[in-house]
Amino acid sequence: MPESAASSPSGVNDGAAAPDARNRWHPIAAADDLVFRHVYHGKLLGRELAVWRADDGFVNVWENRCLHRGVRLSIGANDGRELACAYHGWRYANRTAGCTYIPAHPADAPARTICNRTFAAIERHGLVWSGEEPDGAPPEAPELDGAETLVLRSLPVNAGAALAIDLLAGYDPEGSPLPVRGDDYATVLEYDDETVIAFFVQPVDSDRSVIRPVLAPAPPAAERIEVLRRHSTALEALRKELEGHAAKLPPVEPMTPALEQVPVHLAELPEPSPRGRQARLRVRVARKWNTAADVAAFELESIAGQLPTFQPGAHIDVHLPGGLIRQYSITNGPGQLDRYRIGVKLEPESRGGSAALHHTVREGDVLAISEPRNNFPLRRNAVRTVLIAGGIGITPLLAMAQTLRHSNLSFELHCFARSRDHLAFGETLERLGDSVTAHLGLSPDDTAAAIAEILQGRSPSDRVYGCGPAPMLAAVRELAAAAGWPEEAVHFEYFSNPTEIDDSSSFEIDLARSALTLAVPAGQTVLEVLRDNGVDVASSCEVGACGTCSVGVIEGEPDHQDVYLTESEKQRGDRMMACISRARGPRLILDL
Amino acid sequence: MITLYDYELSVNCYKQRLLMAILGVEYTAVPVDFYPGWEHKSAEFAKINPLGHIPVIDDDGFVLRDAHAILVYLASRYDPDRRWYPVDDPERLGETAQWMLFAEGTTNTASSARLHDNLGYDFDIDAVRAGAHRLFRVMDEHLWFREREGLDWVVSGEHPTIADLALFPDVALSEEGGISRLDYPALRRWTDRVRRIPGFITMPGVIALRQSPRD
Repeated sequence: MPESAASSPSGVNDGAAAPDARNRWHPIAAADDLVFRHVYHGKLLGRELAVWRADDGFVNVWENRCLHRGVRLSIGANDGRELACAYHGWRYANRTAGCTYIPAHPADAPARTICNRTFAAIERHGLVWSGEEPDGAPPEAPELDGAETLVLRSLPVNAGAALAIDLLAGYDPEGSPLPVRGDDYATVLEYDDETVIAFFVQPVDSDRSVIRPVLAPAPPAAERIEVLRRHSTALEALRKELEGHAAKLPPVEPMTPALEQVPVHLAELPEPSPRGRQARLRVRVARKWNTAADVAAFELESIAGQLPTFQPGAHIDVHLPGGLIRQYSITNGPGQLDRYRIGVKLEPESRGGSAALHHTVREGDVLAISEPRNNFPLRRNAVRTVLIAGGIGITPLLAMAQTLRHSNLSFELHCFARSRDHLAFGETLERLGDSVTAHLGLSPDDTAAAIAEILQGRSPSDRVYGCGPAPMLAAVRELAAAAGWPEEAVHFEYFSNPTEIDDSSSFEIDLARSALTLAVPAGQTVLEVLRDNGVDVASSCEVGACGTCSVGVIEGEPDHQDVYLTESEKQRGDRMMACISRARGPRLILDL
Repeated sequence: MITLYDYELSVNCYKQRLLMAILGVEYTAVPVDFYPGWEHKSAEFAKINPLGHIPVIDDDGFVLRDAHAILVYLASRYDPDRRWYPVDDPERLGETAQWMLFAEGTTNTASSARLHDNLGYDFDIDAVRAGAHRLFRVMDEHLWFREREGLDWVVSGEHPTIADLALFPDVALSEEGGISRLDYPALRRWTDRVRRIPGFITMPGVIALRQSPRD
């Protein structure tokens, strides 16, 4: 706290940040600096920040550096849900800063570990606060609480924070100030007319800071511009004085922000152990409602921490009471990471999964889920994308449609359903506007005719994504081939595998990288044998539909039995689904 | 038909391309080998502009030089709504002239720093950078108060003027001259607004703002 209002620098200033600077909250912007779809360029304690408000109001404070080539993200584009780097278009999601799309690898889902560094943010007193590792709450300023405040124009100065605090003590455009409180980064002054100005000083670097004054009570609206101008002029004079003093000080070393260490779980190979399907996340059912006949929708919110990044097409495993594990697609649009939204169709032949979610799980209940996994990635370089949904197959395509719409990419979403009452997520479909066509109550033949019509007029870079019941997907596959679509332009996601699995074969598997030979007897799966022997392979549906447990095949002929791989992928024989695929011969060599 | 004596990397030529793109004016660009050929300093080019500068335009035989003068001409001739050069409003016209002169300053400081760093021009780099920061401080304060009045552009009123286009390239490319805009948040927001003007085009180093639909 300044001892007097004297404005001569006392020589205490050496430009360096106080030792606790890393552990406290500092202002980094005014709340109204973060305008619609803008990326604010900030800097705190020598570290550059890209700061942006998403359309859902969330304030993102990120390291100002694209993980790809180190380009500043502050010159990127805030599309309201994601930030796209200006250089090669890598996209990072609101809230998590996880990478959602890499344009140079359009067919791949980026790894979840590609995630930019984020910093905490709080809005208070009309300012945005952040910090390296802030403890507790932003500085108290009871003088500002309860009063209507006016954030004055901030003033970047070429002088360290300590010097700025020193000179601010004498800031007196309204008569002699009385210091009320203060510390190394804030000083609160009271004036004769009982107005209070709290000056928060943002340590930008050792020789630079930003003075952020907040006035209380706010003057009447009609006088505000005048008051703002008066202070802007007075602070400008203070800046001249401050920079005059600072220029006489010996130069100081710039601050060096700490580099984040690579976390252990990324730097080291995990110990092999039989683990199987993991449910790392706990979520609470924040909302449950009927979105269509026999379809319950769930909004799942995180209990602790931020939900992980997902991409359109991704699904989660939901672990249900009684040990059942079911897969549900995330229906959210890009950057919607406050809650995962899923839709669950009540299957009349339910083996317990959909029935449990419909009948047992209620709002407020806690569920265990896996991290999102994407085996149905959406390419964003098609001229036209055709999405074909059958019934509850709408769910992954809904996420895709919202992404395409938000990127101004051309698409059509065809929803096949028994009736309008069977169309799930109608409110989201409505927002997608003219791109959505509902095909209601069609017979199988009429459905096939409608699909044939949709698939006409293909141009070379068009893509089809289909999700729905197996007979419908078979029809899409057949009709697309007949209409001249190459197999690699048509993508599917199955709910389940209608194939009757034949597990009567017995064979050996050689694990090339693990140097293990294991026997797979009839009645046991490759996946089970692997896990029993301490080799873990990620899996999800375990019926040959989702593609999660795909393993490389080096030698031997797989007996596929899955619906995930395309015909030509199966013929190539270089990968298979560990959960149900087997060997046609006595032996397979696997890339494990 | 307009002929523009043009150099892709010149901010002053870009100002003309930008205005003509926004107004939908067709033109033919004649590339001048500014660097490394110094064609604008050649005896041949002196017949077009004895000062040896670009841009120059030739509009059906009417030849005009100097970037900001050309903006005045193009807006006066090709903007039938008289919005880009507000000749019908003396105050806004005066403000436009004021900020066009200010843009001479940003060109001679910020864009000079860029010529120094990119093309090896012999300028006192510290002096031009300091000069640019002085002007950017003035502009940032001006635009911050504009925002308080609900206004978007350097000149009062609802519509941008050629003053915005005269200033924009010097500001948008300042980092190529080592002039950070970290301290000028209102100036940075204004560059977003300029990039959202219908018909906006880029030049190397200026990034387009892609717009996603509002929900």
